[in-house]
Amino acid sequence: MEKITILCVDDQAEVLDSVVRDLRPLQAFFRVEEAGSADEAKKILDEICRNGDYIGLVISDHVMPGETGVELLGAIFRDDRFADTKKILLTGQANHADTIRAINEARVDNYFEKPWKPEDLVATAKKLLTQFILKKGIEYKDYMPILDQAALLENLRGA
Amino acid sequence: MTKVKALKGLIALALAVGCLFLPYESFGVVLNAVEIRVIAIFVLAALFWILEPFPIWTTSMFVIVLMLLTVSDKGLMFSFGGDTLFSMQTDPATGEKFSNLVSSKGLMATFADPIIMLFLGGFFLAAAATKYKLDMNLARFLLKPFGTNPKFVLLGLMTITAVFSMFMSNTATAAMMLAILAPVLSMFDESDKGRAAFALAIPIAANVGGMGTPIGTPPNAIALKALADMDASVSFGTWMLFGVPYVVILILLSWLLLLWLFPISKPKMELNVGGEFLKTPKAIIVYVTFTVTVLLWVLGKDIVGIDSNIVAMIPMAVFALSQVITKKDLNGMSWDVLWLVAGGFALGVGLQKTGLAEHLIGAIPFASWPAFGLMVGAGVICLFMANFMSHTATAALLVPIIAAVGGSLGGSLDGLGGVTALLVSVAFASSLGMSLPISTPPNALAHATGLVDTKGMAKTGVAIGIIGMVLTYVMMIVLAHLGVFTPAKTTDAASVSAQGTTIVAPVATTAAPVAK
Repeated sequence: MEKITILCVDDQAEVLDSVVRDLRPLQAFFRVEEAGSADEAKKILDEICRNGDYIGLVISDHVMPGETGVELLGAIFRDDRFADTKKILLTGQANHADTIRAINEARVDNYFEKPWKPEDLVATAKKLLTQFILKKGIEYKDYMPILDQAALLENLRGA
Repeated sequence: MTKVKALKGLIALALAVGCLFLPYESFGVVLNAVEIRVIAIFVLAALFWILEPFPIWTTSMFVIVLMLLTVSDKGLMFSFGGDTLFSMQTDPATGEKFSNLVSSKGLMATFADPIIMLFLGGFFLAAAATKYKLDMNLARFLLKPFGTNPKFVLLGLMTITAVFSMFMSNTATAAMMLAILAPVLSMFDESDKGRAAFALAIPIAANVGGMGTPIGTPPNAIALKALADMDASVSFGTWMLFGVPYVVILILLSWLLLLWLFPISKPKMELNVGGEFLKTPKAIIVYVTFTVTVLLWVLGKDIVGIDSNIVAMIPMAVFALSQVITKKDLNGMSWDVLWLVAGGFALGVGLQKTGLAEHLIGAIPFASWPAFGLMVGAGVICLFMANFMSHTATAALLVPIIAAVGGSLGGSLDGLGGVTALLVSVAFASSLGMSLPISTPPNALAHATGLVDTKGMAKTGVAIGIIGMVLTYVMMIVLAHLGVFTPAKTTDAASVSAQGTTIVAPVATTAAPVAK
């Protein structure tokens, strides 16, 4: 069965570690991958796609050496392979123009400001991943314990 | 997780293949290769549905394909240069074509069966009602008279859930009602046992409500199909005539049970369902079509003269032409449920048309067994299985077998309502399995709210299962005495063995007319 991956991108190792630590409650159901730059993230995305697995969610920092987070998320948005992939921008340094671009050009699903509350990040990730699973038509029963209630009920109303 | 599923699939497959090599003669039945293949397919379907290595609808689809390849008149064969090298259609012992192959058209037609169309019509109504907020608005309107006393709000929620699940899928109804309920329940004290009462009330009412109409839940469809094949059709109106009072009584009993097990401490509560009735032309088309369709169903053939399966197709045409249902809505229908049901029908076709049913029935003297014992036994097995697997799959497996047994009983069932009562009670038993989170999707949704533990669900589920079964049998006996059911075409053992290929021999006596 295909695995669903959450990809976390940040150039600061300690921030990356804490994001991954916060996502621990989700690790029984999702694979969590880390990337230190947009470039590395793209390589990981390509590899996951080659294996036929899903990218459910990308959580990215904005200011990084090389390509920025908004640019990375924009590239993901424009890529057919990731049409349903959910995107979170997690940053403390995005200015007004960056934020506008994040919405218009990358259609981010959520914007988190550093420092973030771990429980908020997990709740948002759950909600977005629930939407992803239902959108993809993946058998949701297998993920029942981790799904977001409201998102699930909303979707099943039409069942 | 994946490995466990693969293992389950392999075990099921191995056991099914094993069935091909059992010494059936030593059990006292003589079966040909085609019949043995049907047994193996049955076993495979049963194990796949119980162990669930694959989603249940995929098993159904697989069953149909497997039957087409192995037991149909167009079964698998290879020929080279005019010589047949291998053929599923011929008996290797004699080199002749099997005489009991199933028509491939007939197998494919299970997906376009009139009862599948009846369900599809129901899906159109439900999709239109959801799209134009008829469900939410009706819920708000119907909840009002129940006031703000939590006890009566609970009853109101159960009533509405039950009524909706008579026409919508149990899962969709439960999802909608739990979504309405969730914000209110979060305001309850954590120590208030009443939270569990509310969380449980929804799946219970959704499961029970489905029993009220033929389109309420797929097990009803499977029972109806078997009855139609035995010329003992139950009309939409007749089903509701007993189904609705049954639902009313069982909902009331369940309500009392919930209040007793999980007393509510909160003195007052208010449910806020927003919105207002839409008044756009399309919304009005939905209201009118819904009302007319239900009226035609209820009045039925006896008064208006239109078959309920055909009535179901009227809203399809109206909603399609008026674009209430768009192409996207059409593609979003629960086709998986229809495939699941069709697979059940196909199992029935295989069992009957190959002659397997009559050969197996012939080996066991059911007719000498007490009819009431058989009826209760069938119900208990069904109820047990339905707690652990899909209600539809339970009915799909058991209804064809029980229909065959019922058909062989002759008149001994008549005092209990005949084969109609037998199959309706089996359909009801399939809907009463609700003691575990895995029993039904509504149960899973309620359990996932975290407001009710498995123990609480088990306690109420078992109690309602037993109460529901007792109520079913009492009702069937009452209905039999009122002469509501037309006795089915029954077969006696002699005509079966003489006939050879079909179990439903035309020796029927059609006595009491269907009550209006």
